[in-house]
Amino acid sequence: MKKYIYYFVLIALIAIAASYLASAFPDGLEFVAEKLGFISAAVEHSSVMTDYTMPMLGETSFSTAVSGLIGVGLCFGAFWVISRSLPFSSRN
Amino acid sequence: MHLPDGFINPNLASGFGFAAVGAIVFAINKVKQAVTEPTAQAALAGVGNTVRSISGKAGKSLSRFGQEYLVKMGLVSALVFAAQMFNFPIASGTSGHLIGGVLAAVLLGPWGGFLAITAVVMIQALFYADGGLLVLGTNIINMALIGAVFGYYTYSGLRKKLPELLAIGLAAWSSVFLAALACSIELWFSGTYAIAQVLPAMLSVHAVIGIAEALITITLVQVSKAVMGWEEVK
Repeated sequence: MKKYIYYFVLIALIAIAASYLASAFPDGLEFVAEKLGFISAAVEHSSVMTDYTMPMLGETSFSTAVSGLIGVGLCFGAFWVISRSLPFSSRN
Repeated sequence: MHLPDGFINPNLASGFGFAAVGAIVFAINKVKQAVTEPTAQAALAGVGNTVRSISGKAGKSLSRFGQEYLVKMGLVSALVFAAQMFNFPIASGTSGHLIGGVLAAVLLGPWGGFLAITAVVMIQALFYADGGLLVLGTNIINMALIGAVFGYYTYSGLRKKLPELLAIGLAAWSSVFLAALACSIELWFSGTYAIAQVLPAMLSVHAVIGIAEALITITLVQVSKAVMGWEEVK
């Protein structure tokens, strides 16, 4: 059980560190799209945590950290729920 | 390498959408075979298939390995999500981030890895507006199918001849390079930009990003093995 806690702490630390340290430069594809001039073709949509920020926390690193931890939970949670709820999961 | 909507022609995006659904169904079946075992009753009777056809139930249950494997998929998916947030600067005002296909596939196998990355890409598009909705299938093909499935078979081929870590690193680099190639061709087919300019631009940037992908993949595979006691899926 302990190893799961260590692993979750590790994942959380990566998400939090990324929120404060990640580069704000455009990524490879965005960079190419800007350089060649087709970035304007992009149609952006918005969602609950657009650009990895919480709607109520504004555009801060803290806001990104919170949204990142939620994403970590969503990814793990999706598979965890599946592992517990499949029609052929054991009930005991 | 998350494509936003608008870069890819809707017809092409729809085609990739269907292809992605097909790949997801295939992957779920592959994983389902690995994580289930016949129920005691079905095994004793030796009639798993008959039970299924009569009762409509599978005559199978999730094995102990299967339960752990699904939790492992969740952990790897969460790790990739967190690691993808880490944009690292590369030359000339550009950044890159992990795709994580080879990372997931080395720990989970090709199809489990594919589903782990697919979950990340879907959650990013739906909740974070990172990657378009119409092009969700295209992004799944580029990052999950090329990243994890192509990446896995590159890794498993290379590791017969090369040391483990080198095989992982080269597979990780190749998966980013091939994904960039696929992305360029998709942009060209969509009429977004001429292949003669977009291809060298995409490949040169991602050849550099791929080096970081290789180093991060090697590191996180080692860390995951050390913390969780996992082995590479060979």
